[in-house]
Formats: sequence, C-alpha cells, structure tokens
Amino acid sequence: MAAVTSKGQRLWNRMLVATVFVLVIVFLAPLYWISSTAFKPRSLATTVPPTVVFEPEITPFIKLFTRRVQMRGEVDPEVYEEAEWYEKRVLDAGERFIKDADGNIESSGYWSRFLNSIIIAVTSTFLAVAMGTLTAYGFSRFRMPGENDWLFFILSTRMLPPVVVAIPMFLMYRAVGLVDTHVGLIILYTAFNLSFSVWLMKGFIDEIPTEYEEAALVDGYTRMEAFFKIVVPQTATGVAATAVFCFITAWNEYAFALMMTNSKAQTAPPYIPSQLGSGITDWTVIASGTFLFLLPVAVFTFLLRKHLLRGVTFGAIRK
Amino acid sequence: MIGRLEPGSIAAKRGMSDLAIRNLFIIPTIIFLIVFNIFPLIYSLGYSFTDFRASMNAPANFIGLQNYRELLADEYIWINFATTAKYVLVSVGGQVVVGFGAALLLNREIPAKGLVTTLLLLPMMMSMAVVGLFWKLLYSPSWGIINYALGLEDFEWLSNPEVALYAVALTDIWMWSPFVMLLCLAGLSAIPKHLYEAAAIDRAGRWYTFTRITLPLVTPLLLIAIIFRTMEAFKTFDLAFIMTSMESTELIAIRLYKMAFQEWQTGKSCALAYIVLIMVLAITNIYVKYLNKAKER
Amino acid sequence: MSKRKWSGLLAGAVFAIASQVSLAADELTILWAQWDPADYLQELVKDYEKQSGVRVTVETVPWPDFQTKAFREFAARGDAYDMVVGDSQWLGAGSTGGHYVDLTSFFKKHNVANTMAPATVEGYAEYPKGSKKYWAIPLEGDANGWAYRKDWFEDPKEMAAFKKKYGYKLDVPDTWAQLRDIAEFFHRPSEKRYGVAIYTDNSYDALIMGYENVLFSYGGDLGNYSTYEVDGYINSKQAIAALEMYKELYQYTPPGWGKTFFHESNQAITENMAAMSMNFFAFFPALDNPATNKYAKVTGYFANPKGPGGERFAALGGQGVSIVKYSKKQKESMKFLEWFIRDDVQEKWAELGGYTCNAKVLKSDKFRNATPYNEAFYQTMFMVKDFWAVPEYAELLDGMNKRLHPYVVGNRGSAKKALDGVASDWTRVFKRYGRLK
Repeated sequence: MAAVTSKGQRLWNRMLVATVFVLVIVFLAPLYWISSTAFKPRSLATTVPPTVVFEPEITPFIKLFTRRVQMRGEVDPEVYEEAEWYEKRVLDAGERFIKDADGNIESSGYWSRFLNSIIIAVTSTFLAVAMGTLTAYGFSRFRMPGENDWLFFILSTRMLPPVVVAIPMFLMYRAVGLVDTHVGLIILYTAFNLSFSVWLMKGFIDEIPTEYEEAALVDGYTRMEAFFKIVVPQTATGVAATAVFCFITAWNEYAFALMMTNSKAQTAPPYIPSQLGSGITDWTVIASGTFLFLLPVAVFTFLLRKHLLRGVTFGAIRK
Repeated sequence: MIGRLEPGSIAAKRGMSDLAIRNLFIIPTIIFLIVFNIFPLIYSLGYSFTDFRASMNAPANFIGLQNYRELLADEYIWINFATTAKYVLVSVGGQVVVGFGAALLLNREIPAKGLVTTLLLLPMMMSMAVVGLFWKLLYSPSWGIINYALGLEDFEWLSNPEVALYAVALTDIWMWSPFVMLLCLAGLSAIPKHLYEAAAIDRAGRWYTFTRITLPLVTPLLLIAIIFRTMEAFKTFDLAFIMTSMESTELIAIRLYKMAFQEWQTGKSCALAYIVLIMVLAITNIYVKYLNKAKER
Repeated sequence: MSKRKWSGLLAGAVFAIASQVSLAADELTILWAQWDPADYLQELVKDYEKQSGVRVTVETVPWPDFQTKAFREFAARGDAYDMVVGDSQWLGAGSTGGHYVDLTSFFKKHNVANTMAPATVEGYAEYPKGSKKYWAIPLEGDANGWAYRKDWFEDPKEMAAFKKKYGYKLDVPDTWAQLRDIAEFFHRPSEKRYGVAIYTDNSYDALIMGYENVLFSYGGDLGNYSTYEVDGYINSKQAIAALEMYKELYQYTPPGWGKTFFHESNQAITENMAAMSMNFFAFFPALDNPATNKYAKVTGYFANPKGPGGERFAALGGQGVSIVKYSKKQKESMKFLEWFIRDDVQEKWAELGGYTCNAKVLKSDKFRNATPYNEAFYQTMFMVKDFWAVPEYAELLDGMNKRLHPYVVGNRGSAKKALDGVASDWTRVFKRYGRLK
C-alpha cells in the first residue's frame, strides 16, 4: 500500500488524524470540566464567567467521605484553632462535621455505596455473562422449536421502560424480603443484562467453527467436556466485550437502585446526586464522587480494550 | 447459520444427551427471564383495568377499558408521543452520524489507538443522572462553560422551548455516539483488506468504495446499534427529567413516571405502560426483520 | 503525620459504616429529604441518644425522589422507616390512605395544638381542615421569603436614579408592584446583573409555590376549600392579575431561568447576579455565611410584600413528622416525639438551625434576633397558606404546571386562558374523586 501513497494521500491522512484529535478534544471537554470541578474550591465551581484556571485542592474529597452540616455565620475561632487540617478545610468552606457521641466524624456513606457498587456490579456481570454464554451456546449449536421467537423474547425483556414493572417488582421483592439487599440488586441486574449478553455471545459463538468440537467428540470427549475445554477458551474475546457492556450497565443503573434499596445495599449512582447540597449547590462534591466512580470502569474497559472490537460483532459479520 | 451440530451424532451417546444439554443451557435463562418479566407484566396488565392507586390502602375496582379510553383520548399523551418520536429520531440519528463518522476516522493506523478508543468511550461509562446534572451545569448561560467557550453569551439551551429538546438530544448524542462508534468500528475492522485493494486497482473513487464496500458490510452491525439505541432512547427518562422540564421536552417515559410515582394513578399508568410497550415491540420487530434481511444479503 | 490522620479518617469512616449496618432494637429511623434541616436534625438527635440510649438515624433522599421513595414504602406497607417528615400536601394521602398513625390523642395529652404556632398546626398536622384530627407534629416551619442585596439598594447613586425614574424612595418593597419596579430597575443584562430570581421549576411544586405567594397576596385563592369549587376562584380577576405579575417578574430573571428552584435562587445571590431572590427560609443559612456567600455582609432579608388590596400571604413550606403505621416501634417513636416537643429541645433545635414551630420559642427575642432573617421568618409564619392536601394533590399540581409553565416561561397564550384551563382540569379531577358533583 505504502508504494501507492501519493502526496495528496498523505495530506488527506494527516487531516484525518487532526480531525480525530479535534473529536477527542470535543468529547473529553465535558469530562475535563467534571474532573476539574472535583478539585475546585466550591466558590469557583459556578462563577460568572466560569473559572478555567485555578489552584487544585482536595477539599471536595474530604467532604465526599464525611457528613457535614451548613453553618450559619462564622466559625468560633477557638473551635477553628483546635481543628485538624482536614476539619479546617471544611470549616473554611462554611460547614462543620457531624460527630457522634464520642466525637468521631460521621461517614457520609459514599464509601459503603462504592463497595456495594463493586460487589453488585461484579457479581451480576459474572452471572449475566456466564448464563449468557451457556444460553448462547445452546441456541447456536442446537435446534430449538420457535428459536427466533425465543430470541426475540429475550431481546424484548430489555424494551420495558423500568417504570412499567417497578411497582409490581417492588411488591414482589417486598414479599420475598429482597428489598435493600445485595442479592436483590444482583438478581435484577443479571436479568437486565442477560438479553444483551445472550445476543452478543450468540453472535460470537456462531462464528466459532464447529470442527474443533466435532474433532474433540471423535477423540472421546463428552459434549460437556468439549464445551468447557474447547469452546469456552475460544470465547474469551466475546466474553471480555460482553463483560464490559454488562459491567457498565450494572455499574450505572439508577432507577431500580433508587427504588429497591434504602441505605444498606444502595449503590453509588442514586447516592451521588444526593450530595448536591441544599443551601448552596456543591458541584465539587458530586464531581469528586463522579470522578472516583468513573475510575474503576474506565480502567476495566482500558484493560479489555483489545477484545472490544472483535467481541461485539453480534455474528453480523460474514467470514 | 454457521455450523450446527447434528443431533444423534456420535457424541450424543456419551455423557448427557444433546437435548439435555440444550435444555440445561437454555431453560434456566428463559425461566429466569419469564419470572422477572412476565410476572410483573401480568400484575401490571391486571392493574391496567382497575382504578388502583398504590399510595392508598383502598382495594382496586375493575373499570374495564376506561383507563385505555381516557389515555387514547388525552391530547397531551399524543403530544408526548410526538415529542418522543422527535427525540428518538434526532438523538439516534445524531449518534449514527457522529458514531459512524468517528469509526471511519479511527479505522486506520493512528498513534495510541487503543487509548484514544477507550477515551472516546468514557461518556457512556457514566450514570445518566449524573450526566444530566453536569450538562445542566455546562449549558447554564451564566456559569456554564459551553456558552463561554463558544461565545454564545446569553443563549438559552434549556429554558427555550424550541431548543430544549435538541439540547437534551445533544447530550444523549455525546453520551452514546461512542457506543455506535464501537460497533461500527468492529464492523469496519472485520472488512477484508483485499476488497479495498481490489477497488484501488480498479481505480474506484472514494465514494464508490464507501457505498459499495464499506456501507453494506457495516450495515448489519449498524442496525444492531440502532436497535439498542432506539430502545434506550424511547425509554429516556433520567436525562430529560433532570435537565429540563419544558412542555416541549415531556417524553412519554416522563409522563409515565409522573403518572405512576407522583400522582400514583397506578392503574392508569399500567395502561399507559402497555401502550408504550406495544409500540416499542412493534418498532423493534420491524428493525429485527430488516436486520435479518441485511444479514442474509 | 498527615498519612496517619488520613488512615484515622478512613478507619472512622469504615467504623461508621459497620455501625450503620447493625440494626439494633433500640434504633429509630426517620426519613426526610436531603437538605440542611435534615442535617441539623441528625445533630439534634444525638442528645436523645445520650439521654435514652436510642440511636436515631435520619435517612435522607434527594428532593426530587423524596415523595416517590416515601410512598413506595407506604404502598408496600414497609417498616423500613419508623417516622417520616412528610410534606404538608401528603396529609390527605397519609391519613386517608392509612399510612400515618392518628396523633389526635397525643395532641390532646401534650397540648400540642396550643404550644405550636397555629398556622403550623393547621398546615402540617390537621386533616381534613378544621376536623381537629391530627396526623403529624410540626417539625420544620418554613415559608417563602426574600433575600436582597443591601449594597445595591443603599447605593446613593442608585437611590437617586430610582427616585427620579419611579418617584418614590428605593427601599425594601412594600407591594408587589414596587417589587416589580425594583426588579425592572436593576435588570441590566449588559452588566450581567438581573432584577430578580423566582421559582420556575415545574417538575413538582416550585413554580406553583412561587405563584401562590403573589396569588394569595392579591386576594386570589385556589378554590373553596370546603366545597372544592374551583371555577371562579382560581381563574378570578385577582388570580389572573397575580399570574400576569408573576410572568412580568420572569422577564427580569437571569438568562436560562426556566427550571429553577432553591439552588438557583441562592446562586443568584452568591454569584452576584440578582438584586432580589425568592427562597424558603430554610435555605438562608448558607447566604448568611461569609464562607459560602461572598456577599453575606450585604445580604438582607424581607418577608413577602403586600398585594394591591394590602393583603400579605406566603406559600407554606416545611413539614411535620408522622409515625408510620407499619413501623414496629410505634411506642418508641411516640417517646421520641414526646422528647422532641419539649420546650428545651425545641430551643436547641432552633439554635442548631432548625426552624422550630414552638410558639414560645418563635416569639422569644432570642430567636427573632438570632439571625438577620429570623424576624422575617417570624412575621411570615403568621401569614402562610398552602396548596391542596387532598390525596390527589399531585394530579392538581401537574394540571397547574402544564398550564402555568408554558405561559410564564414559554410565553404562550394568556393568563386567563392558562387559569381557565387549570379550573377545568381541577374540576375534572375533583369530579373524578367524587368531591364535586
């Protein structure tokens, strides 16, 4: 190819790379704004006109992890003198910590929500991908009466606006005691993600030639052994891509997390917006909460990036 | 369909039978999904014929088709549907243009491609509610960065009934174009190089190569992206609800939410939910038909 | 050093989570919305824990989800919350729906109707109106008032210019017409300064409460509270004039003011944008603190101005605390409420930043002089009026939002047409629920 590249071609290529660069900037600008807000003093978050250059600080993160209350008037100098550095930061911002009877600072609950998110998203992703792979294999390799109808049914479970089933679902959960439990959300998110998982995995497994399995069967493997020892290793790429999507969905789900949990099993998405503050909008705290919450999923995606492209074919590509 | 194993082949005689494996693999998923979707749906269907209010401790009275009649005669509901249709068109259309465009750009050797792709995917890794909140901040004519950076002064994004819906759609495009991009990129990268080489030897123009090679081969994946995005856009609630509340931005999911959880007209909202569900099913069914056709071509 | 402190902070956080999860018998949970007063309440109940050993947790939900969350729990007859600090509009659904415990005998035994300010008893506790049946203890009194920029108002140059233009002295407005003049006077978009900040959010009751301030002061009303007749009330001459006034005020708001509530109202002051800002008193503490408001020293407060007929009213905010019928700890909750209504506790409540409804504390000089806005709050609490509290209130809100918002913000139709529409919507709703023939 290189031989036929003319001067015009090179210019064209450079222009395209420049366009990619611009595109990345445009897409990342809002993210930059959120991340930078996470390090701003509150007074600079909503200035007119907006503040672009500032000295970063970690006060928003101190606030994120603690429970605070808006103070009226100025702080008592004596109290301020005795305060630790992190408490001073909060006092400077016009708030005081809520302390328990022993004088310990109360936690805001962000960290426990974050842990809940990890437990729930990881487990439900694992389940959705595992069940999805099995089901996809079943559909891909065997005949099933009304196959296309079943597949459409599986897809259609994703079409329901959550509001439709929210009330009956809640009553169901209440009856079996799953409200505000980790298990409850895990089951729910697994159900959400299954349709996507089955569709993605079926596309992927369809493309894996059956010759390997058949050879294995001839060699004396059972069908089960052939599946686990021959097929499963070949699905790694599809599994990785599916896992990324399921994880993103479970990680960010909002409506049901709000409806089905109180405080024990709540995940972070419904919690973060609640930190907006009341007297004064505190964008810095929700920005810091969002920033921390974006990190795990971004890292996860980055690690699996190589599999993403080859894994999402949905079987739509002919070989 | 590629390589289906024939039942009754040698293997079936050892271990579990093929039928047993098929059932073991498929049936749990189907049962699970039925329990999780059909049961609540039956509940909802029952309620949709009653005047049930979940917020009150009164028993539900059967009122026949009254909820459906009232809804279909309600002019606001039709406005909500029209708004939703407009929103879906603009937002999914925008995502296809931007996503496909970005995929075409990225489908070549560029430095740090993996990193660039991951960075572009970041918007879709966030929660809708948080995205809505922050875009409200970005759009603010006073302290928002958008008007400041573009020099738009006091241009009102979310308070102007003519613009608000497009502003929400723009946010949705920002958030979900990466999804379309990823799927298109997967399609593009799987197109065999020799097709392009052959076209180059034939001195085919860029346009010809694009319409005759690229587009047809990417179409199936693009359609899948469109199916999923249409389904999601139809359900859009958090984003629009948090960002603005113009009459012109009241999507059907917002109407549904208000009816169900603010007014607690449980029965009536279940009826509306059914109307919505039937519409989404119909639209998706059409898409899937197209998809199957595109695959067969 | 700092590293140790950090790990200490984290350990504290982990410990707090661990203790949060353990659900002991001597623990009460109160559900409230996420805002400053809930944080003050969380501080207050520490005293109760010290005295009785019962740990009280105030669980908070963001405002937009508060109603949904509470009624979802009621609908399922759940016992996750022992008490709920519910909006005044919920009284109808809470009482007739059977979710609240009847507190009428509690009221009699502890003489609550006489120790709390009359308007708060009527607004937060009684349903139906005038029935002497009580379902909640007034907890947080609140109403709309105004913050304004004293430095702008007292600038001699501005005062002279104002006097020249309008023929009277620039001061805290006495009538809504004056408030309009002042808003117009200070509205200077080219200088990024605007006249006034008002509520316009139509997703729940913000816009409507904003309008109610004008409506009630103009002598208009939402309807006849005993017969549920609305036609001729909500679209009366006064009501139309009041809505036209509200729309005029909208012209003098900062740009992008189409979905605003308490956050934006306070920002209008802290970001140096508006001369006057409508807000609930509960949100003023942040304006009085130099750390959160650069202009704290030059921010003043006033109560709603008069209408053309000299009447003055304000939209009621605030909430009462009710015991949830499905709670398994009703007795313990009763005990907590007995503690909460004690005069000394109410005083402490006011000190921490809560707005007490206790008449004695309210009237004390100590309370009225405690902050620059307490006096205006005290005045306002005797002139509050509220929205309908019937179980179908949300449908009434929605019908009204649908008519008012396009007119006020979208500039469509006329005030008369909008209010005629409200009257016909409401009549239909009331007929459906059998309140109107």
